[in-house]
Amino acid sequence: MEIQKETSTAPLTEPSKKNTTKYSIIKWIIPLLKSKTGMLGISIVAIVCFTAVFAPLLAPYKPEKVDFSAISTPPFWMDGGSFNHILGTDNLGRDLLSRIIYGAQISLLVGISSVGVAGVIGVIIGLTSGYYGGLVDTLLMRFVDANIAIPSILFALVVLGFMSPTIITLIIVIGVSSWIGYARVVRSEVLSLKEREYVKAAKSIGVRNGTIMRRHLLPNVSSSVIVIATTSVATTIITEASLSFLGLGPQAVTWGKVLSDGRDYLSTSWWIATFPGIAITITVLGIIFLGDYLRDMLDPRIQE
Amino acid sequence: MKYFLNRTAQVIPVLLIVSFILFFLVHISGDPVDIMLSENATEEDRETLRQSLGLDKPFIIQYFIFLTNMITGDFGKSIIYGQAALPIVLERIPATFELMLASIILSTAIAIPLGVLSAVKRNSPIDLLISGISILGKAMPNFWVGLMLILLFSVNLKIFPVSGTGSVFHLVLPAITIGSAMAAQMTRLLRSNMLDVLSQDYIRTAKSKGVKRLSIVYIHALRNSLLPVITVIALQISTLVGGALITETIFSWPGLGQLTIEAINARDMAVVQACVITIAVFVIIVNLIADLIYRFVDPRIRY
Amino acid sequence: MNRKSVVFTFTLILLLILSGCTTVGNQSENGKSAADKKEDRELKIGIPNDIKTFDIHNHNQVLTEAVHINMFNYLFKRQADTKVETELVDTYKLIDDVTWEFKLKEGITFHNGDPLTADDVEFTIERVAKDKTLAEHSNMEVVKDVKVVNDTTFQIITDDPQPTLINLLSRIGSGILPKNYIEENGWDHFLNKPVGSGPFKFVDWSRDNRIVFEPYEKYFEGKNEEWDKLVFRVIPETSTRINELLTGGVDIITEVTPNDIARIDENEETKAVSTPSQRVTILALQHREGYPTSDPKVREAIELAINNEVLVEQILKGEAVAVRTRVTPGNFGADPSLYDTYLYDVERSKELLAEAGYGDGLELSLSIPTGYYLKGDEISQAIKAMLSEVGITLNIEFSEYNRYIELRNSGEFGDMYFGAYGNSLFDASIALDMFASENGEKRIGYSNQEVKELFNSALTNMDTEEREKQYQKIQQIVAEERPFIYLYLQNEAYGIREGLNFKPRVDSMLYTPDITRN
Repeated sequence: MEIQKETSTAPLTEPSKKNTTKYSIIKWIIPLLKSKTGMLGISIVAIVCFTAVFAPLLAPYKPEKVDFSAISTPPFWMDGGSFNHILGTDNLGRDLLSRIIYGAQISLLVGISSVGVAGVIGVIIGLTSGYYGGLVDTLLMRFVDANIAIPSILFALVVLGFMSPTIITLIIVIGVSSWIGYARVVRSEVLSLKEREYVKAAKSIGVRNGTIMRRHLLPNVSSSVIVIATTSVATTIITEASLSFLGLGPQAVTWGKVLSDGRDYLSTSWWIATFPGIAITITVLGIIFLGDYLRDMLDPRIQE
Repeated sequence: MKYFLNRTAQVIPVLLIVSFILFFLVHISGDPVDIMLSENATEEDRETLRQSLGLDKPFIIQYFIFLTNMITGDFGKSIIYGQAALPIVLERIPATFELMLASIILSTAIAIPLGVLSAVKRNSPIDLLISGISILGKAMPNFWVGLMLILLFSVNLKIFPVSGTGSVFHLVLPAITIGSAMAAQMTRLLRSNMLDVLSQDYIRTAKSKGVKRLSIVYIHALRNSLLPVITVIALQISTLVGGALITETIFSWPGLGQLTIEAINARDMAVVQACVITIAVFVIIVNLIADLIYRFVDPRIRY
Repeated sequence: MNRKSVVFTFTLILLLILSGCTTVGNQSENGKSAADKKEDRELKIGIPNDIKTFDIHNHNQVLTEAVHINMFNYLFKRQADTKVETELVDTYKLIDDVTWEFKLKEGITFHNGDPLTADDVEFTIERVAKDKTLAEHSNMEVVKDVKVVNDTTFQIITDDPQPTLINLLSRIGSGILPKNYIEENGWDHFLNKPVGSGPFKFVDWSRDNRIVFEPYEKYFEGKNEEWDKLVFRVIPETSTRINELLTGGVDIITEVTPNDIARIDENEETKAVSTPSQRVTILALQHREGYPTSDPKVREAIELAINNEVLVEQILKGEAVAVRTRVTPGNFGADPSLYDTYLYDVERSKELLAEAGYGDGLELSLSIPTGYYLKGDEISQAIKAMLSEVGITLNIEFSEYNRYIELRNSGEFGDMYFGAYGNSLFDASIALDMFASENGEKRIGYSNQEVKELFNSALTNMDTEEREKQYQKIQQIVAEERPFIYLYLQNEAYGIREGLNFKPRVDSMLYTPDITRN
């Protein structure tokens, strides 16, 4: 397996890519250190991921722990605040810091899983469509058009409005409504890749289609897919927040939910909505920076 | 011409797929009868209503009825309004269209100067500031921008009305809210396009021939960078309509978006279906037009 | 040089944009203040959703009726103090137990000039009593027949004796429709250009935007002189509604959430007012065999574990009253001993659970629709925390409203469901129907022979005093057996501009002739 990868990917990628001749760590690290925004992006993302993974260890309280004696406590630097609740509490006395820490877990889970769903669907459709062409292509591209015609937030709203919103439905809905980007890019790359000699050669010696797609085409489109996937996580986090805002998000502790819980109290307890809002914005910024950096590194040709 | 016909013919299967997805979604969502009747209604009342709505027939038959009705423009009766759904939906299009147009104009008006400026002043503090703002514009949720704009410009500064319709001033805040993300994206795209073009040979040639810098920027670079911007507008229509859903609700703007949300909340299937199909047709048409313009402007493009 | 000119150009553009903004600002400011003076006699009310329709029989939404009440007249009208008085009716009498005879006032006309006669009444009531597809049908099907005696006299004949007929005639969907106008122009025309006989006449309805009325010059009680124009503006987003009030965009807003009251009061030009409503929040408990809640001890333990005071004071900021019944004062059959009271005793609750065999803990489920009830999410989380104090683990199961209704109506909701119900009949019968009807038995499996007998007898009992006793007795039994655990009666809060006289009504109607300026 290892050997095959070495022999098949390395020379094959060469004609199409400028920067990724070899996956050597040094070639990644040096420009990363040079790129300030790239560093910033990767640090933010790393911190958020760390928080999400170790949430139970980091959070001072359980996110749903209600405390009637500490309702709407302000953050510690304000009058009436205390170090028991560093960022204050909400209308049920739940600790905001803990909710944001646990929120990172679910928000990231939703973000990454739905991007995974979208990526798998999009790559499969893009590969098949580009590789086989003809009727298959026409048919699949009509599906793409149909998906473009329904704005993804509208699709999500209709589905979640008519079904009980759980985390699973949310992941599937966002995934199913946002695969077009992958499909389009993968398809156009495959269209040019399949004209290359090594693909034609593989075909002529009777390698099965599935194998060609998996072994020769997939590795070559992976860098574009990674770039799209990274920025999609940011979009997903915002979509989830928007759905929660409209009251159609899942009833789990996500950033969007914490934020929309707090918007009723903007005038009296501003901190409830502000901190999750900041968490969302910073994370999204981090992901955008990271995405920009990855794009520059992996595939300068992709436009947004 | 042949291309045009081809492209138009492709719309039909797309609409078929959209309508099927939609019907399927609404169908699996359950029985609307319970929320239409009052608390004390009997089982018999329910059955009568179910029959009058055609809900007692099998799935495929219901879909065929739905499809044939749809072609004739009949989406059924709205639960909320007790009237045919399509006219209710169609009467909302002008409001949404007005808002879309305003936000496209506004975001282009913001993006072009900012994009050019930051390309010309590459890596200067101004460039950094503009890049910063445009990234922030992408990172902030739509609804958040809307709420903050109201607080700042309506409640504190009292410059614009909070919500509703009536004058061109009512249009400004919602248009900015919807357009902010697009403006951000256009700025970034314009900047990188400009940088690309500015480094091309013919610009260098022009420079060396002593053509004034300003006219280089305007006449050569900007013109060549604008084409992709048109594509962004076309591609963003779908997202823009999506943004209208939330923004219209915040600003009490009586367009398609607010109607859709209201219909979803009231489980008014007829209106939801009519809304989604209308939006889909709208997006398809805009994309088609953009496609044709693009092909006309730049004949190298092949599909 | 070149660089400078670029900078110069863009500074110029920016300045232009900015100056554009400021002139825009000035204009709108000026426009507004001028408008304020000119449109002083325009009353603008911000409501959270649009009315459903002008078909008075095909909605069961309080807000829609709250707007309709300004343009239709009723045979009997509930007054601000909840007493029912005659409106279109001059005199009435009971001929026998099932036959009522009414005489209309003279000289009442619809907005199109037609006189309002007994024919219109017959047309209106028979429509809703006969047409099964109308949303209000089930409430009015007790009417068997309407007989026109002459132009101003008619009789209503009911199936059984109907002690609540007058209440029925004054509740949602009981306005009187213009028969000739509808028959001549058709329903669609009426729905777009409705005609009534009330103090205000219809001018315009732009959906999800605004509904506009004007005073009716020939109103039989005299033209309204206080207002020249009445505008209901649809503003769904709560914070936008409040911001419109604060900036003077509207004069009154409805559905103010408890936490926003402080913000409205802080502003000098606005204030919040509230009144107890008719809406009572409940937990319904499963009575079927096999569920832990079928044990009366468990049910009592749940009620004792919930501290209603905390729910009312902390979460609803005092905008509610703890209750143990749905029949609150102002309703016929109210039992004052169950109002403004609650049971709370954690120790006793633990003992009861131990006696019932759940000393080591108990797991229960609660069904609730997402985002439907005021603060439903927070209240249920608070109840979960309270129940955990006595060793009950509560699993809150959120579902989409339609699904919730399905679960509720079929009895598959698990151990408990959360709900809140109003009462536009102002009579105990609606509130207690659940405990005596098949509907209720199907949902929670509660059945009590004594309650059924009392209820069915009260339904047709024309002896007011005895009927009241019967209803009170049912409430005592229910409070003991706990098919429902009552939590609180919600207040309804409004925001108004200073200088308006507006008293919120218990029935949530926005009856504008009662609203005046100082």
